[in-house]
Amino acid sequence: MKIQPKKEEPEIPTASMADIAFLLIVFFMLTTVFSANKGMEHILPPPDENPDQTEPDDAIYIRIFPSGQFTMDATSYLIEDVEKVYDYVNAKVQVNAKKPIIVDANPEARYGDMVAVLDQLKILSVDMKRELAITIPTPEERAMYQRMQQ
Amino acid sequence: MKVKKTKSLEANIPTASMADIAFLLIVFFMISTVFQVDKTSVALPESHGKTRFEVVKESAFVIVTKEGTIKASDGLEDSRLVNVEDIGILAASWMQKRPSQPVVIKADADARYGLVDDVLKHLRDAGVVNLKFLTEQSKAD
Repeated sequence: MKIQPKKEEPEIPTASMADIAFLLIVFFMLTTVFSANKGMEHILPPPDENPDQTEPDDAIYIRIFPSGQFTMDATSYLIEDVEKVYDYVNAKVQVNAKKPIIVDANPEARYGDMVAVLDQLKILSVDMKRELAITIPTPEERAMYQRMQQ
Repeated sequence: MKVKKTKSLEANIPTASMADIAFLLIVFFMISTVFQVDKTSVALPESHGKTRFEVVKESAFVIVTKEGTIKASDGLEDSRLVNVEDIGILAASWMQKRPSQPVVIKADADARYGLVDDVLKHLRDAGVVNLKFLTEQSKAD
């Protein structure tokens, strides 16, 4: 008897294609990071708090100006030197950890500059592993501080 | 002429198009799913990695653009334009629904600080405690 070899047709298996597709998509969905989903945390004080609690004389008083400059207590800096905030505040906070820090940004100042200063304070807070007493004054408080500074 | 014997057909389900169906479904779901309540494009200020924390799901959003327009979202619905005076009322209603409601400030780095300041004042008066300033990873890191 003559054996005729069965002719096999070449074929690429496609049954697992769907599985591969799902796997890839699930992988990409899990690894995709949306750029804007992280931010700096800040705890606002309760609204009924006595605004006189923070005395600008005892506090580190940081003012941010529209010109892109800022002052810490009496010394003036450019916003490019924002890293100096870290060292300055660090030196003060090592002595008194509860020292309040007032971040007083001028209404005409850039929001980005204010965040840059706040960032330095938050880095210090993380490095020290404790919350710093950072105050962002309301417009009324700011007017009051400025009166007291003069 | 000899009539060919009818070839017996093997029963099978076509699976070649499965991948296409899968892709179609996934693309549909990806497009129809809302990931963000706000799609306003703003140039966020930068901050360092150490200080950045993940935004909690369903956080309320207040968006301040460079031009000075303000948008707000309760974290479930899409953001819409509001006046700065209305932020207080809105925030109070969020707080009533969920007293621990976190609020995210998404403001352009070039926005006037005064506007952000007004927003902060209204939020504070409404009793918002948990606040986040949305930032971008600093390039210096």
